[in-house]
Amino acid sequence: MSQHRALPAAPPSAPEHREGAWAIGFTAMGCPCEVLVDTDDPERAEVVASVARNEALRIERKFSRYRGDNIVHRIHSAGGAPVAVDDETAALIDYAATCHDMSSGAFDITTGALRRVWTFDGREAAPTDAAIAAALAHVGWQRVTWRDHVLTLPHGMEIDFGGIGKEYAVDRAAALVADDGSGPAALVNFGGDLVATRERREGRPWTIGIEDPARPGEAAAYKVELLSGGALATSGDARRFVTSGGKRLGHILDPRTGWPVMGAPRSVTVLASTCLEAGTLTTLACLAGERAREFLEAQGVRHWIL
Amino acid sequence: MVGASPLRRRLSAAACMLATAGIARTARAQSWQLDGSALVYGEKARTNVVEPVARITRLFGNGANLYSQLTFDSMTGATPTGAVVTRTTQTTTSASGTTHTNTVGTLPTSPFSDNRFALDLGGAMPLGLVTPQTAIHLSHEKDYQSAGISGSLGIDAPGHLTTLTVGGGYNRDEVNPIGGIPVGLTSSDVTGESSRPKDVTTAIAGLSRVLSRRLLVGANFSVMHETGYLTEPYKVVSIVDPNATPSLGDDGLANAPTSTLASETLIHENRPSERWRRNVYTTGVYHLTADIVYLSYRYYWDDWNIQSHTMDVKVRHDLPEQHAWIQPHIRFYTQTQARFFTFGLLTGEPIPEFASSDQRLGPLRTATLGATYGFRPSDVPGELTIRAEYLHQWGKTPSSSDVAQPDGVDLFPPLDIGTLLVGYSLQF
Repeated sequence: MSQHRALPAAPPSAPEHREGAWAIGFTAMGCPCEVLVDTDDPERAEVVASVARNEALRIERKFSRYRGDNIVHRIHSAGGAPVAVDDETAALIDYAATCHDMSSGAFDITTGALRRVWTFDGREAAPTDAAIAAALAHVGWQRVTWRDHVLTLPHGMEIDFGGIGKEYAVDRAAALVADDGSGPAALVNFGGDLVATRERREGRPWTIGIEDPARPGEAAAYKVELLSGGALATSGDARRFVTSGGKRLGHILDPRTGWPVMGAPRSVTVLASTCLEAGTLTTLACLAGERAREFLEAQGVRHWIL
Repeated sequence: MVGASPLRRRLSAAACMLATAGIARTARAQSWQLDGSALVYGEKARTNVVEPVARITRLFGNGANLYSQLTFDSMTGATPTGAVVTRTTQTTTSASGTTHTNTVGTLPTSPFSDNRFALDLGGAMPLGLVTPQTAIHLSHEKDYQSAGISGSLGIDAPGHLTTLTVGGGYNRDEVNPIGGIPVGLTSSDVTGESSRPKDVTTAIAGLSRVLSRRLLVGANFSVMHETGYLTEPYKVVSIVDPNATPSLGDDGLANAPTSTLASETLIHENRPSERWRRNVYTTGVYHLTADIVYLSYRYYWDDWNIQSHTMDVKVRHDLPEQHAWIQPHIRFYTQTQARFFTFGLLTGEPIPEFASSDQRLGPLRTATLGATYGFRPSDVPGELTIRAEYLHQWGKTPSSSDVAQPDGVDLFPPLDIGTLLVGYSLQF
């Protein structure tokens, strides 16, 4: 979502038959999305996929940082004044606040100013300490006043739902698709973050490959077979990094230091019951840097690290 | 897999709430839920109850559930017979068919011990916006049997913000006291009948509505119709000799005897064979930023002239460590007396059609103070809860000022009840 500019939404692809299910692809939130529907009827699959796509586009419109007509724009243009937000935005902010609290400040949706001083395009280009210090003055959830649907963001600060928005969209789309459980099982995959709504017909598994970021396009490093519903999310720094003093630094920024986290794995995948939970755990694991594996083991969660 | 960490449980709950808010019936995994609890209840110097309960629930992926619950009560102790407090020794019959002598100056009680077994089975099945539920209930004591069936229909408005519930139930009970059914308002123990039935029919209608993300309100109204043998077979009423009691109450009540009362008679109580009971119950649940406040108020009235008000407040507060929480609880209750409630009848006066000295039909107030503590132990899966409650009950003795109790005799002495509950819940 974070890298996407507001473009007219491309139409979804024609259904493609794949191992007993119909797959429909589309683009939303700046990434390739796909819905796999466990049915023999391609028209039914298109209906299911359109429900997921509509929800993805709705959430993108509502929470994108690159639009002039949504709640994020209203918050950013308030100039430090309080802004009343709707229930859904409030629920997302509550969730982000919970994550901030639980991670002792490592998880933060106000790192926008910091992101602007770091450019993760592989160059030898760490910003100066002064630039980082200046950016940090506009970073930190603890500077925000958040009470009962009213958000007061100090002037110059930004919020960004990019870290949770895509996972949230996957969960919402999957929940809408699952509805009352009477329809076909489906797998909703938005840019690699995915939810399987429930078990497939005839005991078939949902098979998901985890790609090694160092070998894009090659055979999957791991295969995960889901026999029932579940969510997988992956974080990593495969393509986005910066080098400093010969060291490769990932794009996961610690808002408390202003620096990228050292020693974060290239790829972390977590299995959980919701995509939000899985995605937040991968982010927290990356923020733990070299202790990512230790962190995930302590959470008692299925995970794959590359 | 290792058990989920506190961080993960909190995250999981927060993510689940956000991901599913406002979405109807998200597909859930099938699972089992096991709930077990043990309740210890003690009235100071009276009844003691130990009640273990075990319940197993099967949760299905489509939101349906089936449960089965077993309850066992072991009750021992002493229960007030209804006889007035006197300065002489009294002898009464008892629930277990023996006799018992009370000490002077205390409320006459009768010792008993009984065990109750109960089985409850039920289930719910969501069908789109409508959720039918049904349950059956069976219980057995040596002198009381009960069997019942109930059903309800929950109807969600589109959007799932408003839910209407309508339901009803029917219970058939059988009262078979030790020694047979006594003859009401006589001293005789013999009617020749060993048991009498009691039928209870209930109807309920309720509405709940989510007003905002933080506020949920609900109201329901229920009517219960009871017919049959509603009398408590072991309860008695004292007939007090006015010549032996220097002070008389102004409404036919026998006041505290202050001198010897050698010739007091005890008769079995007698209640009407029909009762209409009505309840209006309102609740509000408010989510503060972190804490949750539960408020409720109940107004009850019946055609025995009992009216009661119950105010209840609970606050759930999450503690920072170990996924633990604490919930303080306070409740006030006040009730007026049934029209045939009496502390005692007078010798020579005509005996009314109905009379009972059962304190539960008397004018009383209670205050309850308690707290529940819940936590997830680090080395055991599941959640443990511990609830402790203390209840104080005040009776209202006859109002006239000459109810002098010079030697500390109280017709309706205060009562203290302590409750301790330990519960365990596990989903797997």
